[in-house]
Amino acid sequence: MKMPKVSLFLFLLPSLALICAFGIYPIVYNAFLSLKDVNLISYIRGTAQNVGLTNYREVLDDPLFWKALFNTVTFTLLSIVLQMSIGFLLALLFYREFPLKGLFQALVMIPWVMPIMVSGSFFRWFLSDNGFLNNFLTALGWIKEPIRWITTEKMAIYSLTAVNVWLGIPFNFILLYTGIQQIPEELYESADIDGAASWHKVMYITLPMLKPVIVATFILGCILTFKVFDLVWIVTKGGPGGASHLLSTLSYSLAFDRFQFGKSTAVLVLMQIIVVLFISLSNRIRWEER
Amino acid sequence: MRKKGGWKWSALVAGVVALIVSPLYFIAIGGFMSTEEIFHKPPYLIPPEPTLRYYQEALITLLPYIKNSFIIAFGTLMLTLLIALPAPFVLTKFEFSSKNSLSFLFAFVQMLPYTAVIIPLFLIFTRMKLINSHFGVILALSVFLVPFAIIILRSYMVSVPSGLIEAALIDGAGYLKIFTSIVLPLSAPGIASVSILVFLMAWGNFIVPLAFIKEESLRPISIGLYVFIGQYGVEWNKLMAGSMIYTIPPLVVALLAGKSIVAGLTAGAFKE
Repeated sequence: MKMPKVSLFLFLLPSLALICAFGIYPIVYNAFLSLKDVNLISYIRGTAQNVGLTNYREVLDDPLFWKALFNTVTFTLLSIVLQMSIGFLLALLFYREFPLKGLFQALVMIPWVMPIMVSGSFFRWFLSDNGFLNNFLTALGWIKEPIRWITTEKMAIYSLTAVNVWLGIPFNFILLYTGIQQIPEELYESADIDGAASWHKVMYITLPMLKPVIVATFILGCILTFKVFDLVWIVTKGGPGGASHLLSTLSYSLAFDRFQFGKSTAVLVLMQIIVVLFISLSNRIRWEER
Repeated sequence: MRKKGGWKWSALVAGVVALIVSPLYFIAIGGFMSTEEIFHKPPYLIPPEPTLRYYQEALITLLPYIKNSFIIAFGTLMLTLLIALPAPFVLTKFEFSSKNSLSFLFAFVQMLPYTAVIIPLFLIFTRMKLINSHFGVILALSVFLVPFAIIILRSYMVSVPSGLIEAALIDGAGYLKIFTSIVLPLSAPGIASVSILVFLMAWGNFIVPLAFIKEESLRPISIGLYVFIGQYGVEWNKLMAGSMIYTIPPLVVALLAGKSIVAGLTAGAFKE
């Protein structure tokens, strides 16, 4: 159907105006700010000087940036692989019919539903040096000394990844479960007639049939996980000593703890470039899938 | 025929699900215990001497923050719906040249990291005097939730029969009339689903109020819980009681409307 241009424009105006003014303009503005020596005072007075690529040079010279980049990649990839595996196993569990299925399915959504401040604070306690996990493992006699899950530079990012895996279970479960339900049941029936073992059915029917869903979930998961900020901010605030910073928390800390908006926006621009590269790459993968 | 699991299968699933939801249980019982009991070795799995005191104290402290959270969540819901609803109607039912690039624009904004928008927006809002204002938070949240809502609503509005719209056009109805009296009522399940998701996301959001609200009396509960995290130590029992109070509204919504949440999330994820 066709609509006159004026009506078309009026229907799209509200969303376009909002997104251009407060979504697109800010990210373009980032590029502009990243070339200036901006802090809060120079910004308000309008006296920020052009400094060319100095902010980028400082960012790229900063070991903290490389640490955060490494953390972001590790955090994202590890999270996705583990979330998807657990989500897939759960989806297999839920594939059968059994009593109270609806209730259990609603309960699985809880990590997604809980506000991040709540789950973040919980894990800050759960993983602290004298927190639940250490006390529990000591009581079982499995460890003698508390393990410093979130207070050592080496471990913090992996503990945070584990927490993020838990957070992502509902989303991955829901997408993969929906996908599994769309596989025609006749395929399994004929495999049954041939006397195929359960894991054979998973390997040779479920997984190949699910491939498009798995690819879509993977791409979406990467984009969502790359964005994570709050979990790390609440549990470790990027610490100890900046060892668990993601790019998102690093840029936030540069802006609001140190008021180095120039350097912060330089990190943001680099993040945006990564997002754009990833989207174009994933479009290509999807296109080749077809 | 799908295999039937029976109660044995239920028990297996129950075990797995219990592990997944256990944090909520420990938060709930933490609110009934003193801080010493929370850190007791070995840890208590059931509160030894449960008391309602901390829940009461936390609730009294948090009431103003809860009010702010409701203002922000409902405000965001209203603004997001108002702005988002008209777009998927034209995106699904009409042909025009820039259609694909618009769809890409919405998808792109939704994929942006929050920080990439929030930090420059903080500077822009400073000039616009929108820092320390609920409206500023609502506006910023809508930037992310409008594309999200449009993408989900598109998958619902696409199934409104085009024949109905064509017939109404022949009868001389205007586009606005068709939109409000045919398209909106027929997409009611989608609108319900989107409303629930937008409410939950606005209720739970942390970074936007963290960046934009410095004034204690305007803070929503997401960052209001920091009152229990003092400079010299954390009041864990009140923090857990407060966390539980904060979680109750979304928990109720999820248990009552789980199906809508799932439908909305899958619609948003797989829509091309």
